[in-house]
Amino acid sequence: MKRGGLVAALAVVGVVLLAAAAEIVEVTDQTGAVVRIEGPIDRIASVYGAGTFYLYALGAQERIVAGWYLGVKGIAQASAAMHRLEPRLAEMLLFGDPNAEELVSRGAQLVLVDESRHAAFADQMEEIGIPALRFLVETPEALIEALRLTGRALGPDAVARAEAFAADYDRVFTAVRADLADLDEPAHVLFLGTSPTRVASGDMYQTHLIEAAGGVSVTESLGGYWNEVNLEQILRWDPDVILIPPYGPVQPNDLLGNSDWRAVRAVRDGRVYRMPRLIAAMDTPVPESILGVVWIACALYPDLVSLDLIDEAVRFYEGYYGLSLTEDDLALLATP
Amino acid sequence: MSSTRGRTAWILAGLVPAAFLLALLVGRYGARIDETFRALFDPESAPDVLRALVVRVRLPRALAAGCIGANLAVVGAAFQGLFRNPLVDSRILGVSSGAAFGAAVALLVSAGTIGLQASSFAFALLAVGLVCLIGLRFGSAPLVLVVGGILVSAFFNALLGLVKYVADPLSSLPAITYWLLGGLSDARWSTIVPLLVVTALGLAFFLAVRWRLNVLTLSEAEATALGVPVRGLRVAVILVGTLMIAASVAVGGIIGWIGLVVPHVARAWVGPEHGRLVPVSIGLGVSTLLLLDTIARTVLPSEIPLGILTGLVGVPAFFLLFLRFLRVRGEAR
Repeated sequence: MKRGGLVAALAVVGVVLLAAAAEIVEVTDQTGAVVRIEGPIDRIASVYGAGTFYLYALGAQERIVAGWYLGVKGIAQASAAMHRLEPRLAEMLLFGDPNAEELVSRGAQLVLVDESRHAAFADQMEEIGIPALRFLVETPEALIEALRLTGRALGPDAVARAEAFAADYDRVFTAVRADLADLDEPAHVLFLGTSPTRVASGDMYQTHLIEAAGGVSVTESLGGYWNEVNLEQILRWDPDVILIPPYGPVQPNDLLGNSDWRAVRAVRDGRVYRMPRLIAAMDTPVPESILGVVWIACALYPDLVSLDLIDEAVRFYEGYYGLSLTEDDLALLATP
Repeated sequence: MSSTRGRTAWILAGLVPAAFLLALLVGRYGARIDETFRALFDPESAPDVLRALVVRVRLPRALAAGCIGANLAVVGAAFQGLFRNPLVDSRILGVSSGAAFGAAVALLVSAGTIGLQASSFAFALLAVGLVCLIGLRFGSAPLVLVVGGILVSAFFNALLGLVKYVADPLSSLPAITYWLLGGLSDARWSTIVPLLVVTALGLAFFLAVRWRLNVLTLSEAEATALGVPVRGLRVAVILVGTLMIAASVAVGGIIGWIGLVVPHVARAWVGPEHGRLVPVSIGLGVSTLLLLDTIARTVLPSEIPLGILTGLVGVPAFFLLFLRFLRVRGEAR
């Protein structure tokens, strides 16, 4: 009897240990689907260019086996800082349409997918038996949610990092709001795209960042994505500040040195700024967009904002990416 | 003559299964051939991952490639005869432009794979329906249909441009761009059933009427003199061909050159008589697209868009055929 009891107890312990080892987690992704993940997850593929950076922010860099990197389609396009952050970039970097067999051959146990682009691919991976986390990130709030759900899939350390990131985002938003509490008139901002007459619509992530930084986007009533407008329309908006993303060929001097643009207030006042880029573009839904808020706030209200971009950048890159910034990095970020 | 016919049949009988088998055996996942065979013929004894890849990824994809290759080639051959124009392919009536617009709208609103296929299929039929309306109103002579096809294609291309203009550059726009380049990475059992059904019925139709297709290359007066109801046959060829191409484009996107070049290769091989041209075009279309799709999903870690590969292969092949044509006419040096 005693012996039978011992066997039963050992069996119970065994079952508990097996269950613990299996680490079965259920995560609700951003499409509302419940994804069942059997851990521990040691090998992750991300076909979502912004989502790959979530893995760095959550301390799961070593677990990446393949990644699409937003804005980087070849090794030559990656910045020096990107190479320092990911020494295995040449091995990891993929682009274009994902190949299911390639990810399986790399042993991927979990795939991050942009639902609006690769929903069918996610279906295919799930049919093969590899869980797919689907993302729909159009706002900073959705970015926080995306990091939290990714963290739940990756384990307790990643959960803690996601919460720390959420707290940091909240700290930055709150600080900017407090600094600008007595502001009479918010700055009117035009966010350009890859040409001087291509502008971000009100639905885009950039507009949310401008709002978080205490500005008003002059294009907030536009729908869709990048809109092509003309100089007459820009004159009608007459923005106080023009912001240029860190991709595309447009440089501030293209506008500042062009007499056609002199009638625009931002050009007359010399307030045309191009966002710096260290790793990913800060105006896209990546963790670095927390720095995008700080950079925009500093560009709009240099005398009012108490946050220091360099301090925040050091805090972000060292804290989340484990990346030490060089003098060159700091000089790059110090613009405008 | 009969020995040539027999040799052609033997070559095709070997080529098509060989291309199909190659498509099942080769992929980025480096499995041994004997393991892959086990996954195919004795699934229970094969590793789970390999079984899933072979049965759920490679097999439906190979079937889709074969179907689409057959459809593009046979409809291309039939339309070249019907329009009495060797430079037309299955896109002449605007089917691809309509399908492209339908797919782009579905991608813009994230309608999912089934929504994408349904929208693509519906707009493909709508585009050809508009061309047929033009034909009904202004006469169904090949010239009227060709001009109608050009107009409808241009119209849907303009609408496609509008959709691309408002698409999200980080998600929808790249998805539309890749879809327009063609590819079979989304071909799964759940998405290829309509294609399989339409292809089976369509190929049966074309094989059944292949001898009568020769009459379409004659003028209406000549055909009528032979006692063949050419108008009914023409309508049936356009209708069935359109359904086959619409089903193909809905699964594989825009895949060019197969519908133009393969019928010419087949014609150079067995001559212009449709009784032989149709089955040879089907066999060559199946094996060509199977081989190209195997390359598309095997050579690089990411997929190579199939439309790029068909263009890279199709353009020089067409140029060589054109040179041959000029030499035959004594116009080439």
